[in-house]
Amino acid sequence: LHTFVRRTNKQDKNMNIENAKSQMRKGMLEYCVLLLLKHRPSYASDIIQQLKSAELLVVEGTLYPLLTRLKKDGLLTYRWEESTQGPPRKYYALSNEGEQFLAGLESAWEELSNTINYLKNIHPTLIEQ
Amino acid sequence: MKKNITINLCGRLFQIDEDACEMLQHYIESLRSSFGRQEGGDEIVDDIEARIAELFDELRQQGAEAINIDHVKDIITRIGEPEQLAGEDSNAANENKSGHRYDSARSAAQGIMDDMRARTAGKKLFRNPKDKMVAGVLSGFAAYTNTDPVIWRVLMVLLFFFYGVGLVAYIVLALILPEAKTPEQLLQMEGKDLTPQNLADVVVSDGEPKSYSLARRLFSLVLKVIMAFFVGIIALCGLALLISLVLAILAIVCAFPLPAAADVSLPFGIDRLQLLLNFSDHPWVVATFIGGLLLMLFIPLYAIGHMLLTRAGKTAPMGIGQRILWMVLWVVALCCLIPSIFKLNERYEEEYNANYKRTHTYQGVVMNNRDKDFLRQGGWTLLKAENCGHYSESGEYYNGDFNERYLDAYNENCSEIYQVERKEPVEPGVYRLDCIARAEGPGTFIYAIAGETHLKQIPVYGDKGGELATIIQQQLPDSLTGDTFIKINERTIRVTDEMMESQRVRDGLGWSPVSIENIVVKGDSVAYGVSTDAQFTSQPCRAKWFSATDFKLTRTGDLPKTNNK
Repeated sequence: LHTFVRRTNKQDKNMNIENAKSQMRKGMLEYCVLLLLKHRPSYASDIIQQLKSAELLVVEGTLYPLLTRLKKDGLLTYRWEESTQGPPRKYYALSNEGEQFLAGLESAWEELSNTINYLKNIHPTLIEQ
Repeated sequence: MKKNITINLCGRLFQIDEDACEMLQHYIESLRSSFGRQEGGDEIVDDIEARIAELFDELRQQGAEAINIDHVKDIITRIGEPEQLAGEDSNAANENKSGHRYDSARSAAQGIMDDMRARTAGKKLFRNPKDKMVAGVLSGFAAYTNTDPVIWRVLMVLLFFFYGVGLVAYIVLALILPEAKTPEQLLQMEGKDLTPQNLADVVVSDGEPKSYSLARRLFSLVLKVIMAFFVGIIALCGLALLISLVLAILAIVCAFPLPAAADVSLPFGIDRLQLLLNFSDHPWVVATFIGGLLLMLFIPLYAIGHMLLTRAGKTAPMGIGQRILWMVLWVVALCCLIPSIFKLNERYEEEYNANYKRTHTYQGVVMNNRDKDFLRQGGWTLLKAENCGHYSESGEYYNGDFNERYLDAYNENCSEIYQVERKEPVEPGVYRLDCIARAEGPGTFIYAIAGETHLKQIPVYGDKGGELATIIQQQLPDSLTGDTFIKINERTIRVTDEMMESQRVRDGLGWSPVSIENIVVKGDSVAYGVSTDAQFTSQPCRAKWFSATDFKLTRTGDLPKTNNK
């Protein structure tokens, strides 16, 4: 029982950071996936590859619920394509709606990154004045 | 050597080890049950399945002949456990609008639950015979939760000092939990699969002699002795309880008085059983009493019988559920029985008191038999009887005769209101009333009524000295041979041995002769008695007690001639 309690305490602290991180990632992930699909249609493993190289994905499985949801919301469409190796693949692409949504997200990101840059670079003396 | 099977994943065939396949199946199933609730869940899992097939393909290209369990583990880590995926899914997070603190608390609780579930998965709780200090309860817990038995032992020691909760819990658990005896049970205890290999391992290790350090064996022995001591005490208590129960039943059935209600003058024809069965006003109490009693007696007998049969190999030992059921039933029976006994006894006492009042009333006043008999035999009429501790007394009669009773009233706050009177038929004439009395304080009176009322206060000497002692001393001969008689107020009293032997009696117990002279009786009777009633005597009573005895009416002369005319 003691070990459980200790574990839980440790878990709790780690979880606060983890939670914040995953919240950030969650918000970002959607935007990133849409960005990746802006230029060319891709299938899931491609997206995973690119997100992983950008260290945006902790576990691959996360992507699949996201793709399904975006599709359900009408932001994505997909078509089946035969593959030279392996089973047929689902190629995802942005729908018109998805492009509008992405534009909205881009301006939002612009604002957000401006705000964060401003906050990061703000000089302590300026605050005092 | 491992069994290898072929599976079809998204239309492609893969060679996979049996255990790896099982793990994969389990993983996909858990994904399905996790995503199954949300819309498009099956599609998500199908996509993941396709991804797994792709990864398997990669492995094959890298030269893996068959997929083994490590490959599957890697893939699961890569794709993520269902809980991780659900947590990362923004949709699910949106649905859950409760605060972050609640979330983290819930996931912490979830973590403990998952941890527990993972640790106890596929296990059964047994007493562990392989690593036991006393009965193996705690190491059974340890095996069940996959933790160190030391944790449980420390916890138990702490609980022991917490009002002995640990001890009682341990004994109850030792009774409830079966010991893992067969190899199958040992495997179940540790959550191992029932495979021939595992069974063989258990059987082999079972045969090995257990070698514990001397210190541990000694400690174990000490613990066992302590435990046996407490079990003995509890068993003795149980036995005492059982015996007293049997006695209680006997008392109720045979109408023996219960020890608590024991009194010499019990029971006044009240048949307890009859009383029990007559309690139509408390049918539930009677039903609870009888039901509880039967259960309380039946359960231990059943348990002992079952245990003996199990020992003899006639029946299988009781399951945990059954043991808990019987124990709970027994405690419930006890909890029902005790209040019903109290209720019945209360009811019995009510009945007893009512009966006592019926049989112990003298002229409307409840009193004990001796007072009642004394007043009745003396022909005394109770005129006032309030706040009196008693109505007659014995033990301090003036000649030391302990059996002689006299009128007596007592109240610690001097608030006794006592008046007794008797009527004596006489010829007309002049009379004198003699009596012997004593009082603790002023306000107690001897009186006579014959036309007019004569009052005489009892001299206040308390329980020491008194005028009577002086009179006796004067008449007492130097040496006593045989019975000695002394005359007081024309009455002869016998001097008792007690009087001669006890200096206190010879010094006097506070008694004085009290006389009322010149009672002119024109009618045919005189009423006389004692009174502390302020309304009658017109003086408040300030005595805690008073005594009076030996009333005697003596004719002293004829009516005066003037009255005769």
